[in-house]
This record gives sequence, C-alpha cells and structure tokens, in this order.
Amino acid sequence: MGRGRAWLALGLAGVLASAAACGDGAAAGPGASPGAGQPGRVGGSLILATTTSTQDSGLLEALVPLFEAATGTRVKVIAVGSGAALAMARRGDADAVLSHAPEAEAPLVASGDLVEGRRVMHNDFVLVGPPADPAGVRGAGSIEEAMGRIAARGTFISRGDTSGTHAKELALWRAAGLDPAAVRREETGQGMGATLNIADQRRGYTLTDRATYLALRGRLALEVLFEGAAPLLNVYHVYVVNPAKHPRVNAAQARAWAAFLVAPETQRVIGEFGRDRFGQPLFTPGAGTSAGEPGR
Amino acid sequence: MEVRFAGVEVEKGGRRLLDLPELTVGRAAVTALLGPNGAGKTTALRLMAGLERPGRGQVLLDGEPAERAARRAVSYAFQRAVFLRGTVRENLELALRLRGVPAAERGRRIARAAEVCGVGHLLGRDALRLSGGEAQRANLARALALDAGLLLLDEPLSGLDGPSRSALLADLPAMLAATRATVVLVTHDRDEALLLARELVLLLDGRAAAQGLPGEVVRRPPTAAAAAFLGHTVLGQEAVLPGALTVGPGEREFAFAVERVVDLGTHLAAEGRVRGTPARAVIPPGAPPPAPGSEVTVSAPAAAVLRYRDDGRLAE
Amino acid sequence: MGELWAGIREAVQLILSGDREVREIALRTVYVSGLATFLAMLTGIPAGYALARRRFPGRTLVLGAVNTGMGMPPVVVGLVVWLLLVRSGPLGGLELIYTREAMVLAQFLIATPLVIGFTAAAVQALPPELPELLQVLGAGPVRRLWLLAREARLGLLAAVMAGFGGVVSEVGASMAVGGNLQGETRVLTTAIVTETSRGNTERALALGLILLGLAFAVNLVLTRAQQRSG
Repeated sequence: MGRGRAWLALGLAGVLASAAACGDGAAAGPGASPGAGQPGRVGGSLILATTTSTQDSGLLEALVPLFEAATGTRVKVIAVGSGAALAMARRGDADAVLSHAPEAEAPLVASGDLVEGRRVMHNDFVLVGPPADPAGVRGAGSIEEAMGRIAARGTFISRGDTSGTHAKELALWRAAGLDPAAVRREETGQGMGATLNIADQRRGYTLTDRATYLALRGRLALEVLFEGAAPLLNVYHVYVVNPAKHPRVNAAQARAWAAFLVAPETQRVIGEFGRDRFGQPLFTPGAGTSAGEPGR
Repeated sequence: MEVRFAGVEVEKGGRRLLDLPELTVGRAAVTALLGPNGAGKTTALRLMAGLERPGRGQVLLDGEPAERAARRAVSYAFQRAVFLRGTVRENLELALRLRGVPAAERGRRIARAAEVCGVGHLLGRDALRLSGGEAQRANLARALALDAGLLLLDEPLSGLDGPSRSALLADLPAMLAATRATVVLVTHDRDEALLLARELVLLLDGRAAAQGLPGEVVRRPPTAAAAAFLGHTVLGQEAVLPGALTVGPGEREFAFAVERVVDLGTHLAAEGRVRGTPARAVIPPGAPPPAPGSEVTVSAPAAAVLRYRDDGRLAE
Repeated sequence: MGELWAGIREAVQLILSGDREVREIALRTVYVSGLATFLAMLTGIPAGYALARRRFPGRTLVLGAVNTGMGMPPVVVGLVVWLLLVRSGPLGGLELIYTREAMVLAQFLIATPLVIGFTAAAVQALPPELPELLQVLGAGPVRRLWLLAREARLGLLAAVMAGFGGVVSEVGASMAVGGNLQGETRVLTTAIVTETSRGNTERALALGLILLGLAFAVNLVLTRAQQRSG
C-alpha cells in the first residue's frame, strides 16, 4: 500500500504542478506583452457568471472575442441559471455577473455583494404554446388573464431551476393571484432550450425569453401566444462582484468588462446581433439607465 | 549443498511457527522434512528459498545467507504447479532466461529435464491446460532444468489422483537421481519420506523432533510424540511399531477390546482399543475373526515394543 | 430519421472538412481524458495490485470504498472538486477552477477507482504463488512487476479501457469544473450539451458520432493489444 500511496501523491503533485505552471503562464502572459502599457490593456482573466440565454443565443461568443482583443483579458464564461450565477457572486466565486433576474439581484445589491450595476440590454419574455392553443391564451386581454387561462385549461412546463426565467414565471403566477404550487406545472430543471423542446413534445405552455425561442423556432411547433405586456420585459444587468467583500475578485477585469458592455460600439453590436440569422435582433441595447430602474 | 539453520526462530501472530536452534540438512542427496500440517515444514522451505527471513537467527546455504544465495543456488517447485501463459517450453525457457542461462544452453537443458520428467511430448502444449499429473511433472521439469545446487520440493505428490500419484511416486527417485542438486522435500506422508529420502527430519510444532536415516527414525522414534505421528500405537510409556500388533498370544501381550473387524484386502484386521487407546491388530491368515464387543489378547514381538521415559524420551 | 441522417452526413462533412474548432475539441478531449486516464493508471494499477495482494487492517473498508467509487456518479465527483477548487473553496487560491487541469483532476478521480477495481480483480485472478515463483526464479522487483503485468494484461487493459471510457463519456464533472469554456475547456461531451441547447441538433449529433468514433478507435487499439497472444 505504501507504493500505491506514493504513486497517488506523485500523480496529484504532477497534476497540480502542471496546472500551477499553466496558471502562472496565463497570468504573466498578457502583462508581459508589448501592449501591457497601452490604455485599455488589462490582461489577466475574469470569471463571468451569466444566464444560459446569453450563451445559448450566441451573443457572448460574438462579444467576448471583441473584449479579449481590446483588453487582453480572458473571459471565462460560466453559463448557468441566474440563480446559480448569483449564488456564485454571493460566494465571490465569480468576478462579474450578467443576469436578468432583477428581483433576485436586489438582495445581493443590498448586501453589498454586487456593486456598480448597469443596465446592458433587454428583450422580452413571451408565452409560447401549441398552435391549437387549448387554453385559449391567444385571446387573453392581459398577462394575468393569460396565466389564469393556462392554469385553468393547460399544462405549464416550468424551468424549475431558479433561473431568471423561472423567477419571472413565479412572479407572473403571483401577480395573477395564483399560487404556483397549486397550478398544474411540470418542472424540467433544465435550460431554456431543453425546456422548450419538452413543452413542444408535451404540447404544453411555457415562458421563454424571445432570443432563445427565435434561435430554436425552426424545430419547434410552439407559437408565440402572448407578448408585449410590461411585466414581460426581460432586462439584463451587469454587476461587478464587490472586491471589498471578496478579496480574490479580479476587480479591474470585471470593471473593464462592465464598461465594455455599455460602451457605444458594443451596444451597437448588441443591437445588430441576430438580425442576419433571425431577421430581427435578439436584444435591444439599453445602456444608460441605472440598475434600479426597470425601464421600458 | 549444506543447509544450516542457526538459532532460527519464526513467529507469526504471536505463535511460534519454527524453532530450530541448530539443524543441518543436505549431507544426504535427498532429505525429507516430514510432519503434520502446521508443523513448520513449508516455512522452513521458504526460509531456504529466501522467500522469508527468520525473525531471529540465520539460514545459511554453504555458509551464505539464504536470502542472498537463493536467487542463483535454489530451485523451488511449489506445491501447486503454477505457470505463466504460454507453452510448457516457453515457461521453462523463461525460467532459464531469468537465471541467466545462455540461449545456446537452454534448449539442451530443457530437452534433458523434460525427458527425465517424462514431459518431452508436452513441451508444445499450453501450460495452463495440463492435467494435474502433467502439470506437476512439468513443474518438476522446470525446477530440475535450473540445475541449482539446492532443489526444494513442496509436497510434489499432493493434489494428484491415485494413478497419477502412484506413477509419479514410481518415477520420482529416478528424477531426483538425475540431478546433482541436494534435494529437500516436504511431505506429510511417512511412506513418501521412506520411499524418496535418504535422510529424514521430523518436524513437530516447529521443532526438529528427530533426524536420521528414515527407516531408523521410524523404527526408533526418539520421543513418544514422534512415535505417535509415525504410526506407532502408543500405550502409556510403551509404543508398538506400526503393523506389529497381531491377534493371538506372543512375546508381549495386551488386552484388546474389539470394536469391529475390517477387511483390508490383503488381510483382515481388528480395530478396537488397548487401555483406552485406539489400535489395530492383524488377524493371522486362517484365524477366526474375533466378535465385536469381545475382549481378546493381542501381542507383538518384544523387539517391536519401545519404552519411553517419564519425560517422553526413548529409554535405552 | 431525417435528422439522424442529417446528423450523420454533417458528422462526415465535419470530419472531412477538418473543421478547426471540432478538431480542437476532439484533440482537447483526447488530451484531458487521456492524461486523466494515464495518471489514473500510474496510481490505480499499483494501488489495485497492493489491494489484491497485501493484507492490511482496513483492507475490506478500502475495497468497499473502491467499489463504491466505481459506481460513483461523475457529477458528484465534479461537484466535490468544484467545491474544493472554486474561488471560495479551500483550494480556491490555486486558481485551478475552469481550467483543463481541473478537468484532468476530476476525471482522474473518476477513473482511478475504476482502474483500481479492475486491476485488483485482474491481479486476484492470477495464481497467488506467481510473484514468489518469479522471485525464486531470480526476477528482480521491476522484472517481476513487468511479468505480472504481462500476465494480467487482459484485465489491466480492461481497467484502462474502463477508465478512459468512463471519463471520455462523462459530462457532469467536466461541465462543473471546466465550465465548458469555448476554446479552452470545451470537450466533446460538453460541446454536445451546448449545441443541443442551441438547437444545433445536427452538429450535436455530429460531435456525438465523433466521440463514438474516438472511443471506438481507442478501444480498438487497446483491444488489439489485449488480444495479441504470446
């Protein structure tokens, strides 16, 4: 057994040593590059905790290379539900957060975990369901009525994953005077794409951000049955994880990222994103307002 | 080759397995280590092969510690014939290669050892698919081919069926005569030791209870305990040679409580007790078998009855 | 069926066209899972050997732990490694989270019990006298281990195949500790998840077929080594 343990130790040491070597390289690389002294060069890396929709829609893959080219900072995008992204922020496991759950963000702003919040963009949520629309959502006069009709005659497929979309769904039930626990809902616990597929196959209704729906529309029978109401606005904010509270946070990189997102050139890219593929942009740029204002 | 156990003690789990203050074997060509299970025979063999080291003392092969000398001087045939994947020839080849035997000589040695052990026709066979008897012969061939100074055999006849065992037992003396090696053979069977060995060491409870010519040791066991293991009928301080008790009067007579009569093919025998000790007495040809439950007189020649002292040692 | 065919067609096209990203993902998958399996071999084979041969106090406990580890869901291993390496975790200072090295570590932890378990089984199937036979024949410790490994190679290669197969196909741990970063820690399985959630079913299927082909190729090489006689 002595030999086995020695091997184990050796193997782990090897893994850690090679990893440490890589880590040093990554940290030293950009700083040592000729552009290190230029304005805008930041170097290093940052962990961005974000919602799945920004990654699944392809937006971040369009934005991150621009940022990396401009700053020399590597962005590690961890695409999880907003709930998980905010949990990472609360523990200081991320440097920046791009999220679309203002109600869930508020307590972290209040506790000082998230600082320097800025509005980046918005799109909207839509209610989708089977074309036959057995619950008659199409004719509803308000979002509250639409939710009520689904509760009465439909099956709702819920994300159930503490994502921003899930939080929004729960808020909509409550606004309609319904107890989410009492409604016929099925929780998938998965991302938006998977949830749309399940709703499609089960001929159920679901709430989705427009971007993901557009990206997947080609393969879904689901149609948009209700849209445009004020509560369906889907606002994305970027935050810096408070370096005063979490000393390991790469604050400079996080600030650079937040500044990049609201910069006019970036806003223009956001405003055009998706037009070539879907015929309409997926997001509306909305920088300039503060995190506190919902905005329209 | 001379094997000397000098002050050797082996303990395992608080139990003393071997206690050999001074024992030298190997003066005869073939020595048998005889004893019951757990007497320490295999431990003694493993010490000679350098597979174990004694807790105390030393095992010396021609004066050199066994753990150093064993790798070139010792050949060991395990009780179970174990082979690696491949043919019998490949297994013998590997053994010789590991011993550093030059390639040119290996073929010759393999051929000779295979012939002596009667496995010449098996050399091309898959070593893992041999019958029990074939495997044991191939095992011996591998041990012989090494041409080591000391050849250790651990129960070479155990685990074989009757006919294979008899055939191998008949061939073994010639096989052992064909090697220049000093042979030490472990067995728990008195007759194997008598048939194969020129010297016998009787191990009881880890100690050498007797050493000498096999026939001598069996005829005159130095202690009552040795006599009991060697098949004597031990009656208090007297011991009667195996097979010496006969139903009927004679030089030394004993009262015998008959329990049953058994037919051993060559003769009939009465089984029962003498002074409470289980015993068996030969029924002479033509004599009427005694009735079970009856008490009869049995006897032995005076020369077949040994007397032991209070301390268990043979009285001269 | 149509989608399945489209996926297969796209897979063939992707492979033939030498799509740079796909090639990089495939190579990264081989690197991460291969290195993890290699390290698991370095530790798991000696440990499995010791576990099969030695008698020591607590051996049954260790065997039980190994057997449990063999059936441990990779995602649980991923979660534990994530909690250890994440910035707020005890090893957060190493800055290993969301790196290939973190993935190698997680996959190493997943593969090691598999390698230990299969190795122990392979060694236990050998005659127990074999090491001593080789010792008596004059083989030194290194030679002895080599000959025993050759003797047990069927089982040892099965151990390696089980280890590699286990880590190359798992997604939960790689996703958790690697973060599925494009161009950095995205491997075939996590790429499949991403492409699926983006609705790129054909591309996801194509990546799946590449994964299948990769696992098959590796196993084919190992199986050939395993079945070679002599």
